[in-house]
Amino acid sequence: MAAVEVRPAAAAAGRRAWLVVTEQELRDLWLAGRGLALLFAYTVLLSVTSYLVAANQALNFLEQREAVSLTLQIAVAVGVLLVLLGAADAVSGERERGTLESLLLTPVPRRALIVGKGVAAMSLWVAAWAVSIPYIWYLGRGVGAVRVAVVSGLVVGSLLALFLAAYGLIVSTLVRSNRLSLSVSLFALLALYAPTQMPTAVQTSWIGDLLIRADPIAAGLRYLGRLIVNAHTPGQDAGWLVGPVVAAVAAVAVALAVGGQLTLRSGERS
Amino acid sequence: MAGALALEAGGLQKSYGGVLAVASLDLEVETGTILGFLGPNGAGKTTVIRMLSTILRPDAGWFTVAGVPHSRPLEIRRRVGVLPESAGYPSGQTGEEWLTFHAELFGLPRGAARTTARRLLAEVGLAERGGSLVSGYSRGMRQRLGIARALVNDPQVVFLDEPTLGLDPAGQLQVLELVTRVAHQHGVTVVLSTHVLAGVERDCDRVLILNRGRVVEQGTVVEVSRRAATPRRGVVEVPAELRDRALEVLAAGKVDAVAGGGDHRDEVELRIPAGMAPETAATMVLGRLLDAGVPVLGFTLEGGRLSDAFLAVTGDV
Repeated sequence: MAAVEVRPAAAAAGRRAWLVVTEQELRDLWLAGRGLALLFAYTVLLSVTSYLVAANQALNFLEQREAVSLTLQIAVAVGVLLVLLGAADAVSGERERGTLESLLLTPVPRRALIVGKGVAAMSLWVAAWAVSIPYIWYLGRGVGAVRVAVVSGLVVGSLLALFLAAYGLIVSTLVRSNRLSLSVSLFALLALYAPTQMPTAVQTSWIGDLLIRADPIAAGLRYLGRLIVNAHTPGQDAGWLVGPVVAAVAAVAVALAVGGQLTLRSGERS
Repeated sequence: MAGALALEAGGLQKSYGGVLAVASLDLEVETGTILGFLGPNGAGKTTVIRMLSTILRPDAGWFTVAGVPHSRPLEIRRRVGVLPESAGYPSGQTGEEWLTFHAELFGLPRGAARTTARRLLAEVGLAERGGSLVSGYSRGMRQRLGIARALVNDPQVVFLDEPTLGLDPAGQLQVLELVTRVAHQHGVTVVLSTHVLAGVERDCDRVLILNRGRVVEQGTVVEVSRRAATPRRGVVEVPAELRDRALEVLAAGKVDAVAGGGDHRDEVELRIPAGMAPETAATMVLGRLLDAGVPVLGFTLEGGRLSDAFLAVTGDV
């Protein structure tokens, strides 16, 4: 074997790899990608929802706190959906475009690639939440619900966004095509919304309660509802946050483990 | 580092779901060599390149790249540059942005990365188009951009997996000239996988031919051509009115000869038996014809080029 020839290490002065990846992903998402289009659609949806809620409120069909709660839950649910869409495309999109091999050929650890892409996907949630604040303020002013709605929405939404970003990345890493990644991710998200649509009798049974608490989406939305509609304190219903916290931590751990093994598949185009 | 090995491998093996892609590959490439890495489609070339660039983990065997053992993949990636086969390019980025991004991934600070990107764009002839979106590049421009990307980390070994794929003859020539120029300017070892054999004959120091995952021939272009493509067929040109006489003479001498086909009424085709040197066969045939009073207007031994060697050792004849 030949001796190792040491060349000057160019790496010393560079930034952390995951930051470089994040920055590039943010540029791709917001300047050249679909970030703005998704955010525009989100804004339209929130505007229509707020208008309908405000109109019903004016007709006394809906109490003001219920109006805030409904809008908040929609803002969180759709905001984290954007994150899932972004994450589900992250790796499978690179595979389809043939750009994954170029990334894997760099000395950047696989996990740093995953973290960078995950952080960029999370930016969709941050932007969505920033857009939703004026709507919540408009609907919630006068009943003292604005601050708690904004803060609790941010906490719950961030946990769910983290969970879905990690989940989307796991699926995107494991499957070969972008379409399959999006399909599997969206199907799982719909399944997670399902418990919130169960009949009230089932939801109040012990098994229904357990199901909702174990389901991070349903539990998070239930927590928001209790805080806003029932005017509970954040600590009073903190038990509902166990599901979202556990799901977020577990999904991130699995995403890092799976992402660490990121590789090309046999016969895959570069 | 003349004479040192840039690449060394022993017993490299890789299977995909029970299908053997590379079988016990041994390899030695000296520093500064331009190696023509040849083989028919599916021979295992891309798999070998992916193993040596640490993208795929071999099932068995070992290798070193620039002296770094395969057990240190991150170190190897710092020392190699790769243009993958059918590489994709981000349509929403400019050539300069994309190169800058990759230079940063190799640890360069933003400013130095941008400087490197611009220098490499100029080297591959894309200085004018560096600010344009990659989606507007032609296939040849993308391949040149890919070669520039393979150089962002100032590598010691460069793997180019079919850089001429999909290019017209002029584009192929441009890319191969670029490869040669870059190899000499940067003093790097190049492993060039391509089907453009004329380019390999012209530009490569050594050749390695892979078939069904095994090395079937290697050496300099001249060595491989001579060894693997010994001429087994010759054509004698005689006056058309004497061709039948020539066939009689050769048949009497137990030479396997037939009349040339089509409009070639002045040709006699010879098959040189295995085990007989082409020179011996030529001397014998020419001697018999001249002794019999048949003038020989021309004599050609077919074979002896790299393309003949390629077809001979890969069985694609």
